[in-house]
Amino acid sequence: MPVFRLQPLWLGPLAWSALLILIALTGNLALADPSGSVQESAVTPDFGMMVRYVFWALIAVTGIAVAALLWSWLLGRRVAQRTRQLRRELNERRQVELALRESEARFRDVTEAASDWIWEMDDNLRFTYLSERFYALTGIAPQHVLGRARWELATGDSAAEREKWRRHRELLEQHLPFRDFAYQTGIGDRHGEGRYLKVSGKPVYDGQGQFRGYRGTGTDITEQIKAETALQESELRLRQIIDLVPHMIFAKDRYGHFLLANRATAEAFGLTVAELVNRSHCITYGADDEAERMLSDDLEVIESGASKFIAEETFTDYTGQAQTMQTTKIPFTTPGLGETAVLGVSINITAQKRAKEEVARMRLYLKNIIDSMPSVLIGVDPWGYITVLNQQAEQVSGLSWETAQGRFFGDVFPQLEGQFEQVRQAIRLGQPIKTPRMTLEVESELHYADVMVYPLMADGASGAVIRLDDVTSRVRIESMMVQTEKMLSVGGLAAGMAHEINNPLGAILQGSQNIQRRIAQDMPQNRAVAAAIGVDLERLNRYLEQRGVQHFLDGIREAGVRAAKIVADMLSFSRRSESHFGLVDLEEMLETVLRLAASDYDLKKKYDFKRIQINRDYDPALRLAYCDKTEIEQVILNLLKNAAQAMTDEGTPDPAIILRTRREPDALLIEVIDNGPGMDEKTLKRIFEPFFTTKDVGAGTGLGLSVSYFIVTEQHHGRLSVSSKPGQGARFSIRLPLRRGALS
Amino acid sequence: MTTAMMDWVLIVDDEAMIRENLKAYLEDEGLRVAAFEAVTPALDWLQRGGSCRVCIMDMRLPDMDGNTAIRILHHRYPLMAFLIHTGSSSYSLPEDLRAMGLDDGCIYHKPLTDMGPLAAEVRVLAGEGRP
Repeated sequence: MPVFRLQPLWLGPLAWSALLILIALTGNLALADPSGSVQESAVTPDFGMMVRYVFWALIAVTGIAVAALLWSWLLGRRVAQRTRQLRRELNERRQVELALRESEARFRDVTEAASDWIWEMDDNLRFTYLSERFYALTGIAPQHVLGRARWELATGDSAAEREKWRRHRELLEQHLPFRDFAYQTGIGDRHGEGRYLKVSGKPVYDGQGQFRGYRGTGTDITEQIKAETALQESELRLRQIIDLVPHMIFAKDRYGHFLLANRATAEAFGLTVAELVNRSHCITYGADDEAERMLSDDLEVIESGASKFIAEETFTDYTGQAQTMQTTKIPFTTPGLGETAVLGVSINITAQKRAKEEVARMRLYLKNIIDSMPSVLIGVDPWGYITVLNQQAEQVSGLSWETAQGRFFGDVFPQLEGQFEQVRQAIRLGQPIKTPRMTLEVESELHYADVMVYPLMADGASGAVIRLDDVTSRVRIESMMVQTEKMLSVGGLAAGMAHEINNPLGAILQGSQNIQRRIAQDMPQNRAVAAAIGVDLERLNRYLEQRGVQHFLDGIREAGVRAAKIVADMLSFSRRSESHFGLVDLEEMLETVLRLAASDYDLKKKYDFKRIQINRDYDPALRLAYCDKTEIEQVILNLLKNAAQAMTDEGTPDPAIILRTRREPDALLIEVIDNGPGMDEKTLKRIFEPFFTTKDVGAGTGLGLSVSYFIVTEQHHGRLSVSSKPGQGARFSIRLPLRRGALS
Repeated sequence: MTTAMMDWVLIVDDEAMIRENLKAYLEDEGLRVAAFEAVTPALDWLQRGGSCRVCIMDMRLPDMDGNTAIRILHHRYPLMAFLIHTGSSSYSLPEDLRAMGLDDGCIYHKPLTDMGPLAAEVRVLAGEGRP
């Protein structure tokens, strides 16, 4: 203490003063008080003595005064020094105190501002102190805590909890420090809820090293735990959601490792989510290029930072089946990883793709079907605008489906313009409407067409289909059949009446022959009878000549012959039984026909058959034909006559006919090929029609080829066809079935 | 049978003009002809002693059809040869008649524009007369 240390400084001058007074007293000297004050003494007044006494006294006093002054100066210096020191110390002390106060305030502020509190426990591990912060933070009242052990505050009775507390108690009992011990209190806060606390502490020892308890800090982590729990729940929920999604959701790093995968992804790889995500290497079941392609897509997304939509890609699953996926890859920064990854969503579109392909296949199939139709098919909407064309329709219009689509059908098919009313009516009535045998002019030729308008009744697809069938050839065949039927009925009638007609014709022809014979002069019987009755046969003949009787007789004969021919032709149109059929030597028959043609009287008048070169091209493997010999002879003769006549009329320079036979799989073929003028298509189409003729009026009956056609097709169930082009000759082909029965 | 008998030709036809024309022509050819309008009188004539080698038979006859008549005649007079002269276009020779030796060459369709070939055939058949 500075007060005590200053004492020796005062002792020095006092001692000096006392010594001087003593000397003075003993020397009868008046001693002066070192403080300067003069003290009166009770001495005897003797002057010298007195002077000496005073002198000495003065010396003593001066000495004392000097000493005192000296002492005082020394003392002053020390005091000043000491004062300065004290002042400095005081100053320092004040600063320390200020710092301490500041530190305290800071500590207090920190403690109060922090979520932590301070706690203290005694050596029985019972709470002795908790800072205000505890109460403020946890809302737990002090009386619930002070004097109790930590585990008395805790809740939770699970095995894990018990174990945790056991270990904690053990630690405390061993007086070891601990850090971040978390637990839940059973004591409710002001809302009655248990709080989650996290505490750290270290043991406290006194000066003697005696354990005095624990001191530490605590934090209320309730909100954190709640937040974590909420986060976990949220994560779990998200996990459930992404696992429920049937599409593949995954995140991969640039090396193709899975950072995240949902169940669908894992299942596609035949793994659990954990197995897939923890794999250290890429996994693929497909070809190498599949994995490479995916990796390069991933990299592209990572590098570019832009999403990528892959409309279709192949992915081989763990069963080795290739699936078609539609994938979106999005650049994705994983929290806590810094590096960009790729987030992918893959939708399996295999079924859709298959369905789409199936639809496409079906569409193609249906298109094929409608294209295969020989009809012209035009799909129109209710306003007559084209929606569909089949191939036939494209050909007829000369426009492709794409071009014609959306155009009014009447513009594309002017010949059908008048059908718009039928289209509207068909849609209105929901019934097909037919226009049979509509006449059309195609390339300045008359064509017939059946037009059907069918309403489309499918859901939401109203409209109609116009079907157009060119029935020209059918109409022709039908008319030919009508003719044939007519001929057949004529033939039937003729057959029925033949007897009745042939008898009188016989009477006429035979009668006229007999008349001519019986007026002839060279017949002995005539001459005998004439002589007997006195008639000059020669004169009679002259008479008959002059009166034209002979001529009339010739006329009767010719008329009879013609009538007989007509009846015979008409009779050709009757269906004969096969009783005339037999095995015929084909070559022999053809030779017979050639002979007949060469000797035909009528033909001779018009042309010289011998001028025509006949080339025989017979199939040596073919000998016998099952047919009605006379009928087929008639047909071939007819063909030869037609050929010869056409070549003669046209003046063909080197007229030639090839007569050819061939054996076909189910037919025998007889062909008559000429190098004559040929025929145009118009003629070809009508060539077998009854009464169709290109010859001059009166030159032919127009029945020849139709009779031939009738014989071959109706009587022999064969085929008679013709091919020809103008200037390129004509080829008539007769096909007779090898087996009895119709040719297909 | 006498040679003279062998020259007879039997004609059965219900059409008088046909019958008579044929008869006339064949007679002009030097053949003897017996002509009847039906089968029955022809059979009567044969029954009464008439005889011939060649018969020209019409098919549609008033009392029976020509095929039946041929069968009867063939049965009774196996040596008789037959030629068929018919106005029916659809006539075809029955199998049993073919078995008797008839063929399609024996069929002559009416009307005959020329009776020559028929007469020639008759002469051949009459001359060839089987014993």
